[in-house]
Amino acid sequence: MSGAKQFRAAVVIGYMLSITWLRRNLLSLVWLFATPFSLLFIITVTTGGRSFALGVIGSLLLVLSTVGTGLAGDATWYRLETKLQDFFVASPVNQLGYLLGIAFAGLFFASPALVVLLPLLVYIGLPLIFLPVVLLSLVGVWLFSSAIGYLVSTFTSNLRNGWQSGLLLSVLVESYPQSSTPPRFCPATFYW
Amino acid sequence: MNVIEAVSLSKIYHRSRTQALSDITLTIGRGEIFTLLGRNGAGKTTFLRIAATQLMPSKGRISVLGHDVRDEPLQIRSKIAVVPQEGSTIGPLTPWDHVYLTLLARGISRNQAHERSEKTIERLELTEYRNQPADSLSGGLKQRVRVAMAVATDAELIFLDEPTLGLDAVTRRRIWGVLNEIQKEGRSILLTTHYIDEAEILSNNVAIIDHGKMVLSGSPAELLRNVKERVRVDIVGSTFSEEELNNYGRVVKLAERFRVLTDDRLGRELADEALKRGSDVGLARVSLEDLFVDLVGRAEE
Repeated sequence: MSGAKQFRAAVVIGYMLSITWLRRNLLSLVWLFATPFSLLFIITVTTGGRSFALGVIGSLLLVLSTVGTGLAGDATWYRLETKLQDFFVASPVNQLGYLLGIAFAGLFFASPALVVLLPLLVYIGLPLIFLPVVLLSLVGVWLFSSAIGYLVSTFTSNLRNGWQSGLLLSVLVESYPQSSTPPRFCPATFYW
Repeated sequence: MNVIEAVSLSKIYHRSRTQALSDITLTIGRGEIFTLLGRNGAGKTTFLRIAATQLMPSKGRISVLGHDVRDEPLQIRSKIAVVPQEGSTIGPLTPWDHVYLTLLARGISRNQAHERSEKTIERLELTEYRNQPADSLSGGLKQRVRVAMAVATDAELIFLDEPTLGLDAVTRRRIWGVLNEIQKEGRSILLTTHYIDEAEILSNNVAIIDHGKMVLSGSPAELLRNVKERVRVDIVGSTFSEEELNNYGRVVKLAERFRVLTDDRLGRELADEALKRGSDVGLARVSLEDLFVDLVGRAEE
């Protein structure tokens, strides 16, 4: 298959594993919104609203890195339980098409939160000219965390370890660096 | 032309160091249903996964549809489809989603994918369930959905790894019917199973694999020539002693019954005698099952 068809395959796989799921399982939206918006709520409340902008950026990063590292569990599930990986390996979809597809699934899964957070970013004053830079950075975070998630899944031999690895990665990537950063590196608005 | 040619194919898994396949040489012709028959862990899935470009062989050579598995996997992948063993359907996706989206992912146009999905859903008698979430379907229906995902493609060669495992007799026969239809379209099928009746009814050719080695191969009729007896007589609630039965032929004890493998004349005589003595009796031609138990059981002993 040509490059364009591989990209189409990736989008279809992503759609298959996320949008169809979301449409028929609205409860997933609670988790999707709860994760980033809890962070936004805490940061906004604890800084008296002064760090709302940073909260929005943090929430965007959190939601993308969460779906990326979560791939450690999801990719294990596709490989060991549904055997979807075997199914697509023996098909015209190449490795990159499949990998991008399951990464897209995470991105599409995060789309409801992104639809709320991105306009919010513009609304609170991000100049539109910087939007492409922000989007590129977010894509970088999504790709990087998805790559880590997938890599870890390849070493996982059972499903429970897959989910556990995702949680561990989430702590290592999303919680540990922030919580271990010395306060002097934090923006002044964080001091109270 | 052959769709698969394997020469001295061997596989040793790194971690277990088990010889999963040892020196397998076989060919599968175009338009054929070829069955790998063996017990659990015999090496059937390993062979199938190598042929489907999912595993690398340790030794030997295998070409699929004219392409070497090691050197040209991409050319092979565009012409094959696989139903992996013991997979599952995906949560809330419907049978229609499974089939239609799989076809789109394989690069088939929307119109064609729509048409093929309709046809396959109907063919596997899934129309009634086409818009139901897979989670709510029975095990047999889920398996039919997985078979549909492969059957709906335009693949020249379809790999089915124990597609009827754990299914009821009616569902198994329904899947057999679909596989026969696919064969009539000129497509080839490599099937693994440990159901002997499935191998005997469906296949043009069968290879019996045990402990990674090919024990015997050929058409079911050719394989049966390896059994020297012609008929089997099953006697339930026997009033015969084992010694007495030994005079008629080879005796196999099966739970509460005796099976006697013998020739036509002695078989008929034994059946008549058993009826006279009031036993339940069954007289039938020897089957692949008798050969399989004989070959694999002997190796086990």
